[in-house]
Amino acid sequence: MDAKPLTPPASSAPSAPLSPLQEFWSGFCANRGALAALMVFALLALAALLAPWVAPHDPVQQFRSHMLQAPVWGDGGSSQFLLGTDELGRDMLSRLLHGGRISLGIGLASVLMSLLPGVILGLLAAFYQSTLSPAIMRVMDVMLALPGLLLAICVITVLGPGLVNTVIAIAIGALPGYTRLTRAAALAEIGRDYVTASRVAGAGTLRLMFSAVLPNCMAPLIVNATLSFSSAILETAGLGFLGLGVQAPTAEWGTMLSSARDYMERAPWVVTLPGLTILVSVLAVNLMGDGLRDALDPKLKKVS
Amino acid sequence: MSSLLRIRNLRVRFGNFPAVDGVDLDVEPGELLGIVGESGSGKSVTMLALMGLIDAPGVVTADALEFMGEDLLQVSPARRRQLIGRDIAMVFQDALSSLNPSYTVGAQIAEVLKIHLGLRGAALERRVIELLELVEIPDPVRRASAYPHQLSGGMNQRVMIAMAIACEPKLLIADEPTTALDVTIQAQIMDLLLKLQKERGMGLVMITHDLAVIAEMAQRVAVMYGGQLVELGAVPGLFERPRHPYTEALLAAIPEHNAGMKRLNALPGIVPGAYDRPQGCLLAPRCPHVQERCRREQPALVQGVRCFFPRGLS
Amino acid sequence: MKAPLLEARDLARHYRVAQGFFKPKATVKALDGVSFKLEAGRTIAVVGESGCGKSTLARQLTLIEPPTSGALLLNGKAATATPEMRRQVQMVFQNPFASLNPRKSIAATLDEPLAINTRLSKAERREKIELLAAKVGLRSEHLRRYPHMFSGGQRQRIAIARAMILQPGVVVADEPTSALDVSIQAQILNLFMDLQVEYGTGYVFISHNLSVVEHVADEVMVMYLGRAVEVGDKKRIFAMPLHPYTKALMSATPALHAADRRERIRIHGELPSPLNPPMGCAFHKRCPLATKRCAEDAPLLREVDGRQVACHEV
Repeated sequence: MDAKPLTPPASSAPSAPLSPLQEFWSGFCANRGALAALMVFALLALAALLAPWVAPHDPVQQFRSHMLQAPVWGDGGSSQFLLGTDELGRDMLSRLLHGGRISLGIGLASVLMSLLPGVILGLLAAFYQSTLSPAIMRVMDVMLALPGLLLAICVITVLGPGLVNTVIAIAIGALPGYTRLTRAAALAEIGRDYVTASRVAGAGTLRLMFSAVLPNCMAPLIVNATLSFSSAILETAGLGFLGLGVQAPTAEWGTMLSSARDYMERAPWVVTLPGLTILVSVLAVNLMGDGLRDALDPKLKKVS
Repeated sequence: MSSLLRIRNLRVRFGNFPAVDGVDLDVEPGELLGIVGESGSGKSVTMLALMGLIDAPGVVTADALEFMGEDLLQVSPARRRQLIGRDIAMVFQDALSSLNPSYTVGAQIAEVLKIHLGLRGAALERRVIELLELVEIPDPVRRASAYPHQLSGGMNQRVMIAMAIACEPKLLIADEPTTALDVTIQAQIMDLLLKLQKERGMGLVMITHDLAVIAEMAQRVAVMYGGQLVELGAVPGLFERPRHPYTEALLAAIPEHNAGMKRLNALPGIVPGAYDRPQGCLLAPRCPHVQERCRREQPALVQGVRCFFPRGLS
Repeated sequence: MKAPLLEARDLARHYRVAQGFFKPKATVKALDGVSFKLEAGRTIAVVGESGCGKSTLARQLTLIEPPTSGALLLNGKAATATPEMRRQVQMVFQNPFASLNPRKSIAATLDEPLAINTRLSKAERREKIELLAAKVGLRSEHLRRYPHMFSGGQRQRIAIARAMILQPGVVVADEPTSALDVSIQAQILNLFMDLQVEYGTGYVFISHNLSVVEHVADEVMVMYLGRAVEVGDKKRIFAMPLHPYTKALMSATPALHAADRRERIRIHGELPSPLNPPMGCAFHKRCPLATKRCAEDAPLLREVDGRQVACHEV
């Protein structure tokens, strides 16, 4: 038989090349719950972003003649204050919208503040196993030994209450988690052939870290980021409730809960509405996180 | 004497994809049958379907799937559990991932004996050691309390074989049992399987992509391509005078048949996947002897060859 | 006289391994004195089973790790991990499913070596990538895709393109076809040969498949437990292997035709632990020819019948 010249092999892949991003999106959309959660979250984020223009009133303005007024569907409610007013006559709807800016803003800021240093520390620990890793991980272990909220309270006690310090406190609490996660994921990838192939091609440590390894560690990091976003919202509310976070008269969901404690029976909406908002936001973010994990993980395993 | 295994028109579909596309096969008691094919040929799926190990979304249908006269399609789950692992046993490719890493190898062999033969206590321990000796594991008493990761690949494979023969099966199916092993260990394992087969008169079905292994061990060989059986014949006849163009191409691509030549006879293209299954003969897009009829119609298996124009005939 | 393309002189690589809290660290001699010469356009095959040190050798040759002792020379100059030297030696890995970055498009994977090591503009790099992709049988649209969309054989083509894109003098191929089917293996081996003819690359071809080795190699080096036991011209070694381990390897390799089968030299047991290698010749515990001298005195490579053999009994 004659030897045949090499012919290009037929590819059995579909004609449109799907980047990992496009494949991930179609996987994510297949999960109805996650998609619904994404839409709810988008709505909340949009409302929070546009609060200064959408809110009917100034959140700190007190309407003395309308204190503890019921929402529009209750006794004595009016369309002027759709969700009623609180004990100082401030419009609930406006306070919730502005409070969203705070909570979601703190969530985002704290995630970024802990994700970026956490990733860098994790990569350093993975690449310098014998030198830097023990030092970094022991510091993280110490930080993990303290319960999250307690750590935040300690930081606030040292730095003083306020918006910025709340972000710092929450970020410090979340840092060890990211470091550990990144280190574990990076260690798993470092031994793989494609990283060795990059080394043989001449890649230096920096390129190996960020171009070769990090993109393949993104899945658990992204999932963790969404989940810590939701716990940041809860921690902010918790600190606010304890009077350690955002200070009055700034509208924040947790402080709204705290100041409404005494009015639970007389005017339940002052407590229920912020509580419900917290619930819905956290649920939406968690469902999104679940959807992200489902969309990202099987793809990782499906490498064949 | 009835066949040990009788398969007629076995089909396994995953969605629209026919992983196994109408396979007929017989295995006689005490016979060594080789099933040869490349990735995507359906050789493993055929045997997994036989063992009832295909889960949804796979759908298994057959006109007949009989083991010693018993219809495996109709059998109750309880009876199936009796048969599989006791009368029909299977050995897989990568022993380390097929064994449970959290239990000692002795415990895993004991599990088989407990479930199928009801052995307990001292009799159980004795039998475990006996089995380890049968598969030629040195120092069996100590090895029985070892974990899979503490043993080498060859040892783990022997443990798998011990688990498979523990209940004196009538039929042993070995799915690429030596592919992951070094060549000298491969030779040892093959010798072991042959010895056990002869001693027990077991039927042995050996699935592999290595033609040379089949040539040395098997009595009959089935060649599979794209989910279909394309040639069935006796060893060594099939290898000396292949009739199906795929068998011929496979043999021609082996380095041994290209001695002294710079380039190997490579069959261009790849096995059809889910999206590009041909209308006619599955090999038509790659076959060097393709004719018009091959592109339109699917050939049936006639006298052991699935081809309109078998090689070796004028 | 011109220096050889690649020369290894007594390359050794030892690792210190922790044995636990109270025990002293042990030394694993993964590579214990390996020497060979490779000329441009030629192929030396490294043959051995797991634990023989071939992966360690690959890491030494690709300058990933420095040797513990011995020297590696590229074109007569001592090899160090500098960019200029790096460009000269590249590698193709065994597992096509693990050697490509899943998050990078094919174009990005092929671009990386060029971006790191050359000063070419983006357009010039793109041109080189397209040229080489065509040579290995890939089409332009494949460059935008991601590894998981390709079959094993196609990924190996991409890996070969990546290795060749810097036009290195030496390519170390670590079992490049072991994970591939026979017909795809033939295509890939042909590609290797074509590229060697075109670029004059020297290959260090690591493989445990002796029929592939017989086809591709010019010289063969058989390794056992970190040492070379037989080195020389392929034709001579295959026609008449001298070292008992080489003989055992060749006889254990299954052959398709009865006429090609060698008399089986059965070696028992398994590779000794590298933490505790036997005194004297590393192979003597499994060797059918072993004498008292073999247990005490490790044999050195010496010239016998046109090749180098490390054995007292030949």
